[in-house]
Amino acid sequence: MRLIPAGPGRRFIALLLDASCAIAVAAALTLPLRFVLPPAALQAAAVTLSFVVGWGWYVLFEAFGQGRTPGKQLLGLRVVDSRGLPLTLEQALVRNVVRALDFAPVFYGLGAFVSQSDTWRRRLGDLAADTLVIRESREFEALGELRRSDEFNSLRTPRVLRLVRRRVSMEEAELLLALTLRADQLGDAARYDLLESVGRHYREKLELGELPISGRALVQGLASLVIGERRPSSRRLGSRR
Amino acid sequence: MSVEAFVRARQPEWRRLAALLDASERLPIGELGAARLAELVRLYRQVASDLNEARSYTANPELLGSLNDLVGRGYRFVYRRSHARRWREATRRLFTAEIPRSFYAARASVVTASCAFLVGVVVGGGAVLAERGNAERLIPSDFFTESPRERVERIESSEERIVSVGDAAAFGAMLYTHNIQVSFLAFAAGALTLVGGFVLLFYNGAILGALAACYWLDGVQGFFFAWVGPHGALELPAIVFGAAAGLRLGRALWLPGDVAEPAALRAALPEVARMLVATIVVLVLAGLIEGSFSQFTGRTFPHTLKTAVAVLLFMLLMAWLFVRRGAHED
Repeated sequence: MRLIPAGPGRRFIALLLDASCAIAVAAALTLPLRFVLPPAALQAAAVTLSFVVGWGWYVLFEAFGQGRTPGKQLLGLRVVDSRGLPLTLEQALVRNVVRALDFAPVFYGLGAFVSQSDTWRRRLGDLAADTLVIRESREFEALGELRRSDEFNSLRTPRVLRLVRRRVSMEEAELLLALTLRADQLGDAARYDLLESVGRHYREKLELGELPISGRALVQGLASLVIGERRPSSRRLGSRR
Repeated sequence: MSVEAFVRARQPEWRRLAALLDASERLPIGELGAARLAELVRLYRQVASDLNEARSYTANPELLGSLNDLVGRGYRFVYRRSHARRWREATRRLFTAEIPRSFYAARASVVTASCAFLVGVVVGGGAVLAERGNAERLIPSDFFTESPRERVERIESSEERIVSVGDAAAFGAMLYTHNIQVSFLAFAAGALTLVGGFVLLFYNGAILGALAACYWLDGVQGFFFAWVGPHGALELPAIVFGAAAGLRLGRALWLPGDVAEPAALRAALPEVARMLVATIVVLVLAGLIEGSFSQFTGRTFPHTLKTAVAVLLFMLLMAWLFVRRGAHED
């Protein structure tokens, strides 16, 4: 099992989301008290509630929410023990108390600096509590979008199959699969340019000449071929010349 | 077997495990049921095996990453600590047994932190007693709008500052929230640098010593002890406790000894967390006392009474944390 540390960008956005939510909750709890408490007592309640919600938000959600505050959950992040185990209450408390130093000199400047210098992207609180913030990848539903290998494919000729086996390595095969799965996430222009560029590369490598299909169709066709031609690890798909 | 066939064959079990883990995160563990629990554990082992097998077929980051995450979630569920809690019993045990035991176990750190603070008091007080001018170098300028004698005369002859419970609560809330954040900073500095904790303790001690010496030189030390004493009897030890907790954690980080650093950290964390909880609670009490009882003039509460209350609070605090009882032996 591997742990993938979360990058500073996502962590920062999650932090902003959590801070906004905490402020909103504290305000929502304080507002009704305006109608029942005198001004001095209201001030005491407001100060206390702001403090408790502001600090307690992170501790309680991380300790009892499987390491996820609402902001972290939205961004696909989770706080775990450095061994990948769930966070303990003690770890949640210590990593968030040290937030007082991470916040120095202004809005997490020190914490961000330390996090950028650390291999696991840990801020000071993570170092003190032996925790990590990891990124959880998306579900594997996307695998269902892979083209079935028995659809019509103009590339499926004995000559091309032979060249694919010999000249397309496992790493290239994975690249073709990844392109096929992720191409729709790109903008139109970027997708077109990328797939045309990759298509040109494989036209040349596999001696496909002026085959009248687009770069996208070429990449998808090749991806379909490599799925259908996949062998167990004892017989590799192809090797570089 | 091709990768696609492998995924097609195993995906229903992966989806089932994901659904069970979702349910386990939503429901209390008792509501999951024995059958689903057993199925979850069985599927976790199966999917962990599938992850190993998938690595032999493919380097596809989508597949391996998703399986890795699924196995990670299962791992965290299977190896998590019990969350069964009876809150009332747990809270009672925390304050009557676990916190005192933690302070007793960390007494070396507490003594070290206390010494750093007391050295600061002696140095600050000695510097001002030796030369009055040192006070302005040591003490923040906010304290020098008037001399101690002038201040005492002004306070003792004016109206009481606190006239309602609300006023006391408002002032106390500002004080304890500020002090708790300062103690967090002292804890963090001590934990991550060791030296930082000592410096903060010494500095705070020096300011206090210098201030006390100023009042002593003006002949109004009785007012000082009555003014600072009731809340200081709790607040000053709490500052020391927060820093001591940081030093305890810092020792595990920087001087783990024969134990690996992560193991030393994990061993220290429960003790440190309990010390932090005690620090927070004591600072809240100190803030409320400072916002109320400490502010009253000698006309309402004589200085001797306030000083006696200070001594009593200090003794109660020490008795709670350091006097060994049967519960400490758990």
